[in-house]
Amino acid sequence: MVKMANKKTRGPDKTQANTSDIVVKKLDDATDIVRQPPVFTNDSKYICIASGRQIGIYSVESAEKVHSLEEHTFDVIGLAIKDDNILLSCDASGETIEWNINNGTTLKKAPLVVAGIKEFHSFHYPGNGKVLVATPSTYTTNMSSLWIVDSHTRPRKLFADIKSTPHSIAFGCNQGNGSLVVVALQDHSVVVKDITNGVDKKHMTDQRKFTCVALHSEKLIMATGDISGRILIWHDFVHKSRPVKTVYHWHTLPVNSVCFSSEGEYLYSGGSEKVMVKWRLGMSRKQFLPRMGSSIKYIVNAPDNICVATSHSDNAIRFIDSTNKINRAIIGLVKHDPIRGFADTEPIKESVMPTGLVFDPRSHGIFFNAQAGFLQLFDPQKNSLIFNMDVANRNVLTDERNLVIGNAEVLRVAVSPTGEWLATLEVWSNMSAGYHDMNLKFWRYDAVQANYELNTDVTMPHQDRVTALCFQPGLLGTEMPCLVSIGRDLKFKIWRLVDDTDIYRQKESWSCDVAGDFRKLTPSALSFSEDGSLMAIAFQDTVTLWDPTSINLNTTLSHTLVQEPIELMEFGRDNCFRYLVCASKSALYAWDVISQGLVWKVGQLHSSVRCLVPDPKSCYMAAVLQNSEVFVFSPSSSKPVHSVPKMNSSEPIAALFVPRPNPLASGPEWLINSRLLIVDDQQEFLCVDDVSSAGFNQKLTTPISHMDSLPWTPFSAMKAEKQISAAKQLVPVVHQTSGIQGYKSVQSLLETSASALPPMSRICSLFMSDLMIKHGPKAVTAKVNSVDRTSTDLPLSNGHIDSKTQDFSEETTLQKLLTLDCQWLVETVK
Amino acid sequence: MASFKKTQIRSLPKIGQKVTADTLYWRKLNFPVTVKEFGPIDYIDVMPIEPYFIAVSSAAKVQIYNPITHQVHRHFTRFKEAAYGASIRSDGKLVIAGCDEGHVKLFDIGSKSLLRIFKGHKGPVHRCKFTTDNVHVVSFSDDKSVALWDLPSETEIIKFSEHSDYVRAGCVSSISSDLFLSGSFDHTVKLYDARSPTGSTISVDHGSPVESVLMYPSNSIFVSVGGTELRVWDMLAGGRLLARVSQHHKTITCLHLASDGKRLVTGGLDRHAKIYDVQSYQVVHTLDFPSPVLSLGITPDDFTVVAGMANGLISMQHRQTQAEARALNPKQSLKVQKKSQTAYRFRLNADFRSVNRTFNPATDVEVATKTDTNFVSRYDMFLRKFQYSKALDTVLTPYIRKKKPAITVGVMHELIRRNGLKSALAGRDDSSLSSILTFLARNINDPSHANIIIQVANTLLEIYESSSLTPQSEKLFLQLQEHVNREVEYVKHLMEIEGMLHILLASTTTQARRSSTYVVQGSPVKPMLPSAAAAANATMIFNVG
Repeated sequence: MVKMANKKTRGPDKTQANTSDIVVKKLDDATDIVRQPPVFTNDSKYICIASGRQIGIYSVESAEKVHSLEEHTFDVIGLAIKDDNILLSCDASGETIEWNINNGTTLKKAPLVVAGIKEFHSFHYPGNGKVLVATPSTYTTNMSSLWIVDSHTRPRKLFADIKSTPHSIAFGCNQGNGSLVVVALQDHSVVVKDITNGVDKKHMTDQRKFTCVALHSEKLIMATGDISGRILIWHDFVHKSRPVKTVYHWHTLPVNSVCFSSEGEYLYSGGSEKVMVKWRLGMSRKQFLPRMGSSIKYIVNAPDNICVATSHSDNAIRFIDSTNKINRAIIGLVKHDPIRGFADTEPIKESVMPTGLVFDPRSHGIFFNAQAGFLQLFDPQKNSLIFNMDVANRNVLTDERNLVIGNAEVLRVAVSPTGEWLATLEVWSNMSAGYHDMNLKFWRYDAVQANYELNTDVTMPHQDRVTALCFQPGLLGTEMPCLVSIGRDLKFKIWRLVDDTDIYRQKESWSCDVAGDFRKLTPSALSFSEDGSLMAIAFQDTVTLWDPTSINLNTTLSHTLVQEPIELMEFGRDNCFRYLVCASKSALYAWDVISQGLVWKVGQLHSSVRCLVPDPKSCYMAAVLQNSEVFVFSPSSSKPVHSVPKMNSSEPIAALFVPRPNPLASGPEWLINSRLLIVDDQQEFLCVDDVSSAGFNQKLTTPISHMDSLPWTPFSAMKAEKQISAAKQLVPVVHQTSGIQGYKSVQSLLETSASALPPMSRICSLFMSDLMIKHGPKAVTAKVNSVDRTSTDLPLSNGHIDSKTQDFSEETTLQKLLTLDCQWLVETVK
Repeated sequence: MASFKKTQIRSLPKIGQKVTADTLYWRKLNFPVTVKEFGPIDYIDVMPIEPYFIAVSSAAKVQIYNPITHQVHRHFTRFKEAAYGASIRSDGKLVIAGCDEGHVKLFDIGSKSLLRIFKGHKGPVHRCKFTTDNVHVVSFSDDKSVALWDLPSETEIIKFSEHSDYVRAGCVSSISSDLFLSGSFDHTVKLYDARSPTGSTISVDHGSPVESVLMYPSNSIFVSVGGTELRVWDMLAGGRLLARVSQHHKTITCLHLASDGKRLVTGGLDRHAKIYDVQSYQVVHTLDFPSPVLSLGITPDDFTVVAGMANGLISMQHRQTQAEARALNPKQSLKVQKKSQTAYRFRLNADFRSVNRTFNPATDVEVATKTDTNFVSRYDMFLRKFQYSKALDTVLTPYIRKKKPAITVGVMHELIRRNGLKSALAGRDDSSLSSILTFLARNINDPSHANIIIQVANTLLEIYESSSLTPQSEKLFLQLQEHVNREVEYVKHLMEIEGMLHILLASTTTQARRSSTYVVQGSPVKPMLPSAAAAANATMIFNVG
């Protein structure tokens, strides 16, 4: 990197000036919605969900977003309903904001002042102006202290060294005397404080760690879940030092959340088994809701008892109705759980996001891992999830208490250049059993059904791990598509679509056409040239170039200067098509495929190159280093066009150039048509973009009318009808046409029917002049004057000389246009 | 999301004949009724209208059979020597037949009387046909000539003597009364037009003596058979060869259309009748006969298939009626009946019934979609309840174990995935252990299941290694070992052979490389220039603009 840095300082100043306004942004909308428990409004019509710095208010009935509240500058740590339609929120810096739920406006902002503490862990609002906040513990890390803040008294510390998760604090009212009871969890004990009466209690059980706690809303009943899956119901725990306990034990894995129904008849519990259990208090009856898709993080009950919302680790909130069925869901972008058992042997990318980011040309979305065995398509323009696709089609298995049970994981994805075909590789492996399954699946997009249909399922396509999958680009639909896979079984295989049609049916399927190897070396990287005419496979330090149709080895490229195994390899795009950029552990270099020579090499990089991504819309390429430095360069030279210094401590996992819908008006060449997305090991999306280009900010401004909370009468029904129609006109589609030269005349030409058009000779000049770049007004007038003077002897107006005398004024305007157009022609002729 | 996903059973496609719609259709022919005649069956013709009488010419007589009763309806014996190619007129009233003495005789089916004798051929007449207008007759004779006769006046209208050998095949157009086709032993097929007496309009070379010809109802394509080949010719393109099909391994003798002209049937001396798709000329089904097939007849409704054979047998096969099928297989038909019972498909919208308002059929009637009864198999039920041993037990029943081993393997696979194989295999008694062991021994050689079976076998050995076994299970373990040893031996042999093949292939490729010549790329194709007229046209368009 020393070299690179040197070159950068020597580079032209112009690029320096341009790069100053390139920033790295975090994509906020992609953050998870399940970090904090959601909160129902008092009328149970809306649910408030904190996601990063934003708060979303969703309708419970439709699961649609109604408001997006964005005022916080730090992550939101807690939400509470203060009054009927006032939402109280607090962020990590202690700023509290009161919002009007109905129209999404800010009512009041106030900072929390707690003994000069600047960082807060969680926030609760028991009512009556009292606020409970957890702050970092002074002595032990990962522990919190709980404070009670009142408007007229000084903040008081209730407990020290309690667990910092939102579920380890609960509060309730002792109905007997109206006092406030707060309970909190420590590792092996529950601490209880009756604030009004000043009673302190500490209950301990055995060596099982507690995980969550909930209090009954009316009676003095407490429920705790622990790490062994046991739920304890505590009766009269405030006054007695040895309270009566009831044991409910169904879960085998730790209980993540417990929740009482608002009437207190039932208790809901959930954990990593992906089962929600509904216990009837005081009886042995229980109901199950199994296979909820992903492990349950929080369970929240609606105040009117009609539904229960569960937050799941796959970034979804599901609503369960009173008949114990899931009827709606709010689904966010899914974070992939790192694959266990991979982390020690493989690079971190393989366990966190093994597929990387794969661009889908059909929908302009990005494919990457969702939960185990699933694949999601994300729209980077709108920052929204398009769909989540079940690739493995297996039951998601949960761990047993002492046993890790793996699920099938999608490891590789490739999309054909047209987007018609999708190839996925899923792997299930059990390290202890020494047995693994591998399936290569080919999916075809069905435009009518608007989903992917499984076409071919290949079991064990390679004997060992598949390193890369790549479709052959450049085919124009005339040839059968072709996929290349390389694996650690030293083979590369070429899969082709085979027509298997007979008189009864139309059928196509994929089959292996060629399997080859090269000197028994391990293939490590694969790349196609942009037109698909050349395939490069790297075998350790050697690059082999193949003809993809005939599978003839054209050339092998190797050099004494570059002897490390190649890890990444990409062909240049556009006018750099001839360069093949390779990255090894400590070096980055480029081959010229035509002259078959090494063009440049940058050695001794600070850290190894993690991603090498070409921009599909320009000739540039980006190299993302492990220490999160980013270099954008043209494959023809080693000078970086732009470099981004270390961003933060997180490690980049994958990167991708995403085309923009509208090109930037100005900016460096590599940013005009696309921007660079980077994913780090926390699966946060970062975007290297021009500072001027704003994100797709779609503000939801429709206020909820007060009519919504009215009872359902014939009059309110009439009113509501209006509301719905108002909500419909949300997304205005605006085509950007103002900047396009001659857009109007092209449009009018296209819109007029051919029969109604005047003769082509008449409108041609007008049309052409519209398309031309207009000069300044001064220059035009000057030219017109000169034309007027010389118009008598101009041979241009061949057919119009006769009419000139009759209608001179019209003729002159025509002449103006004609001469304007044809000057370039006259010049070239001369 | 909330539904249990069924265990994936991986079944590989079976090699062998696929069951297609055609095989099912042609398999429905009943056991044949056979009639013995005194000589090879020369020709079979089917009356084109009900009751589809069948004219069979063999030896010195022409017999007309009733296809339902298999009885002789009429027989004509007024031939001195052999009678050939009896053919029934399209109205079913007259029959015509050629004979050895060179005459063509016309009979009335109703009265059995001989109505006309067309004399003029000098050799035997093997085929004769009525033209489409029903008042002319075409005869194809061994004197190398084809003649057209007028029925009322009994006179010869025209005679073509273009062939250089016996004319043994012929047919007439179904559209025009003037067109007819002849196929001869001189390898040619000729198309004649009675309006042009100078000679044939199309003549094509079949490549071997022509046994039979056929014109498609559309009259744009004709087919000829002879030797082991079937050739398809385009009539509109002046006799262009469209397809050559060779599916028989002996001479093809006869040709017939079936299934409304969608299928073509050929019979041959190899005792088969092949049924082709007329679009792709792929064989969709084969019928077998006990003796070389000389002639075929199929009724227009495909109900009866009649084949005449060289040993004088006539086989008549009927299509199974529904009543017959039901009698043969009562269980299956009951199932079909149950399925066909219709449920209520429409229901009224609840909203409509509760509120008093006018009925709108578009919105108030809901069409009930067919709900799939979600069938859950027993093993899935146990897997769902995490009862792994029971799930394994259900798929080790003799029926599944022997007939559907893929299911057993699929469940074992799922158990491996769920890490429940050990608990499912452990603690088994003698009988259940023996069923597992026999299953493993039987399937360990199957390459499609091997990886899972080996895994199961390893786990089983691990569990029962140290426990004391009964002699019976011990024997089974030894049997499993023997199977494995045999497989290892077998694979060793295969690898040896593979090695030999590699050497052979390597030597051939090196030789090929030495003698390889690079293919010189052809000169780039010149762009097509517009013709003078086209150029003129183009400029005209330009001028208009």
